[in-house]
Amino acid sequence: MNQFTILLRKEFLEAWRSFKFLWMPLLFIILGITDPLMNYYLNDILSSVGNMPEGTVIQLPDLQPADILMASTGQFQLIGLAVFAVSVAGMMSRERQNGTVTLLYVRPLSYTALFLSKFIMALFLGCLSAVAGYGASMYYTALLYGSVNAIDFMKMLGTYCLWLLFVTAVCLMFSAMLKTGAAIAISVILFPVGLLLDTMIGQFWHVSPHKLGNYGVMLLTEASPYYGKTLALTCLLALIAIIIGIVFAKRKSITTAI
Amino acid sequence: MLDSINWALIAPLLIVQFILAIVALVDLARIHATNGPKWVWVIVILLLNTIGPIIYFIFGRKTT
Repeated sequence: MNQFTILLRKEFLEAWRSFKFLWMPLLFIILGITDPLMNYYLNDILSSVGNMPEGTVIQLPDLQPADILMASTGQFQLIGLAVFAVSVAGMMSRERQNGTVTLLYVRPLSYTALFLSKFIMALFLGCLSAVAGYGASMYYTALLYGSVNAIDFMKMLGTYCLWLLFVTAVCLMFSAMLKTGAAIAISVILFPVGLLLDTMIGQFWHVSPHKLGNYGVMLLTEASPYYGKTLALTCLLALIAIIIGIVFAKRKSITTAI
Repeated sequence: MLDSINWALIAPLLIVQFILAIVALVDLARIHATNGPKWVWVIVILLLNTIGPIIYFIFGRKTT
């Protein structure tokens, strides 16, 4: 346990020194602000840069607060998640590649503590970013469009954090398993690209971890009947990924050249 | 056109982008080496707003 605390402190110090705690939440805040503002000013934007012929009338849909939060979620899922996945996927493999982890390998080391310290740090970073991003988005939505039920909003935020837990677990598992480049490539294909595929052909199935973010936003209007199942499946898969990750963190330590 | 914009709404967005760029530039000035020449990173940070500083923080910093 003591080892875990020390490793965790080291992770937080490293993240703090590389400004991760600053730029990741700021990125999510920008992504969260953009959609409410863009939709609010869409009419002005179109009329000034849209190059429309004189007298064009565009009927814009009457957007509800939940629609705006859904659009913000889309931004988080595409850009925010790509950045998050890339930065998590490098966490273990990069240390192996540049050799700093060998300083740990020469000591009696609990690989569970090593993996979990990185996992907790990444999860904290992700949740902090999600809370900041959704907070900013909600603030602007409340200002420009109207408010939503606070408890439903909390539920949605919690659901999104669970989805990030799944993303963190899987990315870190690949990071423990593969080289940095391969881990990053697989993480990007699995999450941002996987989400695109899920929106395109996802109507054929109802339960997949990739749908969790959208089901979370749907709690604001009408909850999906598949919400519970999706949640359970995501937690189960995350747990499996964590266990595999710990196993591979141990196995890789034997084959790492010093 | 300019005075019809509600600056109270836009200002936070500009401030956040400004903070990101400033922090990235300060870090760039203090770090001993980056991946690739430093002057390229200055251009990336200044010209690509929002995404430029983020790209620098992910790929530019040498962590060894």
